Amino acid sequence: MRLQIDERRCKGCNLCTLVCPYRIFKPGKRANRRGIVVPELDRPERCANCRLRHLYGRTLCGTCQMICPDQAISWKEDEDPVPKKVAIEY
Amino acid sequence: MSEEDWLRQDRLPHIFCAGCGNGTVINCTLSAVEQMGWKRQETVFVSGIGCSSRAPGYISTDSLHTTHGRALAFATGIKLANPQLNIVVFTGDGDLAAIGGNHFIHACRRNIDLTVVCLNNMIYGMTGGQGSPTTPMGGLSTTTPYGSGEPAFDLCGLATAAGANYVARWTSYHVRELTRAILTGLENPGFSFVESLVQCPTNYGRRNRFKQVADQIEYFKSHTILVEKAARMREKGEMIPPDMILAGEFVRRNRPALGVRP
Ligand SMILES: Cc1ncc(C[n+]2csc(CCOP(=O)(O)OP(=O)(O)O)c2C)c(N)n1
Ligand code: SF4
Ligand code: SF4
Repeated sequence: MRLQIDERRCKGCNLCTLVCPYRIFKPGKRANRRGIVVPELDRPERCANCRLRHLYGRTLCGTCQMICPDQAISWKEDEDPVPKKVAIEY
Repeated sequence: MSEEDWLRQDRLPHIFCAGCGNGTVINCTLSAVEQMGWKRQETVFVSGIGCSSRAPGYISTDSLHTTHGRALAFATGIKLANPQLNIVVFTGDGDLAAIGGNHFIHACRRNIDLTVVCLNNMIYGMTGGQGSPTTPMGGLSTTTPYGSGEPAFDLCGLATAAGANYVARWTSYHVRELTRAILTGLENPGFSFVESLVQCPTNYGRRNRFKQVADQIEYFKSHTILVEKAARMREKGEMIPPDMILAGEFVRRNRPALGVRP
């Protein structure tokens, strides 16, 4: 699974950029239609905690989703997982 | 079921300002409630008045948004009328410690079986940033423009002295610890009090040197000290800096409680 930000809920506070050990979230650059600068996801497939959720059958880490005051962060299934080389970061 | 099912999707996004810590504490509370395996029909959220007290309005259970300071009085009524219900109270620092101060100490004394989550932003958020009983010494607000000259209430100390069965404090930065503390509070029979310091960027942060939301979160991160560590330091005669936030579990005990399910 990988993360997604719900643009309809995000208010652009950037707290997610602060907590992630993988630095998946980067402050956004452009304001959206509502005038909110939504953070950008930098290769969310890098997060091992997200990838291994199904295997462990529970939420691993998930700090980004918990700290988001606007309930805007959630996980989605990888649609047709293309085999891709992922550099493991420790 | 997941946490998302506890939210009233049609009411989101909520009215809290960008970066307000209240939303984070809602996440932690719902996660703890979800882990308890409670049913929505058997859970009631109660609150008073304030930004923080808007929280139950976004939760898909029965809830009571009561008058300012009286959340605990209403919650006591619900619990005594129907002890089968699980009750969680959301309250602000002004709501709980200023206008609702008496209800607070007596709910602790009665040790009624509720869990109270206090979202302490150290200010009256909703009414435009007046000082509250928890505004720290020197804290700027519209009613303390030269810095508050009064000592602040230690809500956890108050709850402990008044007789609550479980007392803990964390901040909106410590999401995992806070969730665990709320979960312990929910499990524990009797009055459980979990205080969470939260950032209020609009009314507290911008007046008190926290220009960005992240600045206050960084402050929470760097200025918390575990209760156990503080005790060790005191034993050794070391000074604990006065601006440190004591975090962790203060008491867990088994005084006789009111309203516990037979
Ligand atoms: C009886 C009564 N007195 C005063 C008010 C005005 N009032 C509304 S919210 C509030 C302060 C709320 O502060 P707090 O409980 O800290 O919540 P926050 O908004 O900071 O989350 C006050 C004084 C009121 N609604 N009712
Ligand atoms: S789950 Fe943890 S590691 Fe993964 S993106 Fe979120 S904060 Fe980062
Ligand atoms: S005024 Fe403060 S407490 Fe109220 S919603 Fe805004 S940031 Fe949150």
